[in-house]
Amino acid sequence: MPIKTIITVDDAATMRKMISFTLKGAGHDVIEAGDGVEALKTLQMRQVDLVLTDVNMPNMDGITLTRSLRALPQFAHTPIVLLTTESSPEKKAEGKAAGATGWIVKPFQQEQLLAVVSKVLGI
Amino acid sequence: MPLNDELQQQLIKDLLIESTEGLDRFDREMLVLEKGQGTPETLNVIFRVIHTIKGTAGCLGLPKIESVAHVGENLLDTLRGGKLTTTPEMITTLLAYADALRAMLNNLENTGNEGSADYSILLQQLQDFQTGKSPSSSAAPAPAPAPAAKQTWGLFDDESAVPAVPVAVVASIPPAPDAPPSTPSAPPPPPVLVENAGVEKEGAARGHSVSDSAIRVDVGQLDKLMNLVGELVLARNQIVQFTNQAQDATFINASQRLNNITTELQEGVMKTRMQPIGNIWAKFPRVVRDVSLELGKSVQLVMEGKETDLDRTIIEAIKDPLTHIVRNAIDHGIEMPDARRAAGKPEEGVLILRAFHEGGQVNIEIMDDGHGINVARVKQKAVEKGLVTPENAARMSDRESFNLIFLPGFSTAEKITNVSGRGVGMDVVKTNIEKIGGSVDVHSEAGHGSTIKIKIPLTLAIIPALIVTSRSERFAIPQVSLLELVRLEADQAKKGIEMLYGAPVYRLRGQLLPLAYLNKELALDPSASAPAAPGTTDARGSEAAAVNIVILQADGRQFGLVVDEINDTEEIVVKPLAKQFKGINCFAGATIMGDGKVALILDVLGLAQHANVINEVRDRSLTDKVKTDGRASDRQTLLLFDVGAGGRMAIPLSMVARLEEFPRSQVERSGSQEVVQYRGQILPLIRVADYVRAAAGADSQGGDLMQVVVYSEQGRSVGLVVGSINDIVEESVTVKRDAAGDGILGSAVIQNKVTDLLDVAAVIRSADPSFYRAEAGAAPDLKVA
Repeated sequence: MPIKTIITVDDAATMRKMISFTLKGAGHDVIEAGDGVEALKTLQMRQVDLVLTDVNMPNMDGITLTRSLRALPQFAHTPIVLLTTESSPEKKAEGKAAGATGWIVKPFQQEQLLAVVSKVLGI
Repeated sequence: MPLNDELQQQLIKDLLIESTEGLDRFDREMLVLEKGQGTPETLNVIFRVIHTIKGTAGCLGLPKIESVAHVGENLLDTLRGGKLTTTPEMITTLLAYADALRAMLNNLENTGNEGSADYSILLQQLQDFQTGKSPSSSAAPAPAPAPAAKQTWGLFDDESAVPAVPVAVVASIPPAPDAPPSTPSAPPPPPVLVENAGVEKEGAARGHSVSDSAIRVDVGQLDKLMNLVGELVLARNQIVQFTNQAQDATFINASQRLNNITTELQEGVMKTRMQPIGNIWAKFPRVVRDVSLELGKSVQLVMEGKETDLDRTIIEAIKDPLTHIVRNAIDHGIEMPDARRAAGKPEEGVLILRAFHEGGQVNIEIMDDGHGINVARVKQKAVEKGLVTPENAARMSDRESFNLIFLPGFSTAEKITNVSGRGVGMDVVKTNIEKIGGSVDVHSEAGHGSTIKIKIPLTLAIIPALIVTSRSERFAIPQVSLLELVRLEADQAKKGIEMLYGAPVYRLRGQLLPLAYLNKELALDPSASAPAAPGTTDARGSEAAAVNIVILQADGRQFGLVVDEINDTEEIVVKPLAKQFKGINCFAGATIMGDGKVALILDVLGLAQHANVINEVRDRSLTDKVKTDGRASDRQTLLLFDVGAGGRMAIPLSMVARLEEFPRSQVERSGSQEVVQYRGQILPLIRVADYVRAAAGADSQGGDLMQVVVYSEQGRSVGLVVGSINDIVEESVTVKRDAAGDGILGSAVIQNKVTDLLDVAAVIRSADPSFYRAEAGAAPDLKVA
């Protein structure tokens, strides 16, 4: 299985740690960011294979981050998955319009997370 | 791949820290909202706290916390959407809701499960707020976490690949016509969004992520570092001792460098352990709100000096005492609104918390503008409870009476209230603060309120101490317990030390001090006696040459400790004693001296108890004092000195930082100013004689040594050169203003002689107008009749 680099963006450190542990357990490289601003800063300097971002965060939310990334040529085709507690159709439409690839409802099981990650990475 | 147990525990620990911080923020922002000062962001912050707790708890398999969080989240979301506005009841309920989450988290921390408490009423209330009170609210109440509980994930352009996704929901997403289907790579965004992104980027630049500049460090790690730095300081001290005898310039240079770096490292590591006191104050707005609401009082909380840093161990230790004092101040200090109105005060009481650094210590003051402490009632209560005798109570000064509230078993509240009368009294507060080397004092003015002043050391790891020797063994005495040093020459010692009921006492300025002999208390080997050189003493017998007494204070009472030799003050690194010695209460720890040998640190309170010098003695000394001088409250401790021929003067001892002697040869000049080098700084000198009328030009003669009174204010020091320092007296003085002017505040009769009281501030101001800068007149004044 190819090793992929994944960024997890969440203002809750515990959540980041858990996601990071799960993905590292599956053999991926994981980097972390505490909000959209930090993620954007990091991603301007390095490429990743997948962005997993929380939606509701201070400074810059996940939807805005998605939009901002899509505006960058190197992120035009990178999968971006939203992790959200809000699974209302409106929220999803908003995510889709911003250019997100998919969504996972929090809370989720680790298996689900891994399934989605494998799916969007095509592995 | 399930989370292993250890990681799960670690993650739960993280969740606890994160959630506790979050809920504190929740409280804070809630109170902002309650005051009507909220911005749209306020509700977002509040919402996010709950949102995060819910999400994380869910992923960690904590269903109860998750579901409770969920109900609040719904209400907050509705509020955030502007479909509802907050009411005072709603805020109270939401605060109670935060407490419920705290309770579950605490349970989780202590027992490992979420607890079995039932929050259904609270949750019902939250739902009622959301539905019942807002007809316009369209959000449906959702008792279960997500309405589409089965549908846990999906891809926008590949829904069919995910069997878990019900078609109905997928259909509700409006299809994006220009989005090409692709799985691994996402569609490029519609061009119009580029603009948006730019706008959002600007907005986002406002906030700075904390995770950029701050990291979390395990406290154990910091403690370990501190410990290592302590060891390094000791090793440094040893090397510096070698350097003193060394000739090799390279070695001297290298060791000097080591010296500097170690000092900087020590300061740096100490700083990492520092936390602003604001961290524990953050919960006080909530405490004040709850307590005043419960009592029907109106209280405004003012906090000054939140950024004042303290060692984290000390922060921990003062958390509970401070909370207790704050609750007490609202409960017993501040009056009900109608009583305040009747007294001509604004209905809203003010509670001020102040923290600031001063002289290597942290001062914390809790001031209220309530009715003050009722001296008569405090005394009456203390007598009723048998804490003092009626005779003693009658003789007590106001200040002594205030401090009665710190006696164990004292509580003045007529009826025990829910708020502060829970059995732990101010005595516990006092004990806890004294345990970390701090002190508590209370001032009060009838009708105008009370102030509780707490002084605590900055850190407990490295402390200044006085090194003494007894029977060739060295001991360290923490400087906080030290009051003064008295040396009695042979003939004085014979007269000065009396026997009272078989116990040795020394009469210091009219006050009887019990004495303890260090060598006897510790049963030190008499054969290892100190050399019989002049200046040392065998304290046991009449053949003693001179006696060195260290006057110490423990538990608010004083006693004298007789030692063979007094060496010097030093910064020592406190090392805990091994478990085997825990039972010996005479020692507080150990330290390693510059020569590599161990010295024990004396526990002053333990030693005093061991020697039986602070038990029954207090009443006697108090009586003795009061008898000689009448009302104790007017008494002041004064330093007596002269400025040459006949110029007998006094200043309050409280204004004196230190007394020093400098050889005249050390005086240098900086511009027109006389200065000396003093503790690594330049100390400007002011010849008092040049500034006071009575003694112009009188001082400059005398011996080789100049007597200097060091005065410090706002971190700046100045040396007042006087003729000779004569005595320290404690007297009740009546100052006559007639003689005021030209550097003199007035005059008084002290020890049956007319004595001028020096106006320190005026003298310094005329010598150096810039000394006080903006704080002109900040110097404490003498009480003037």
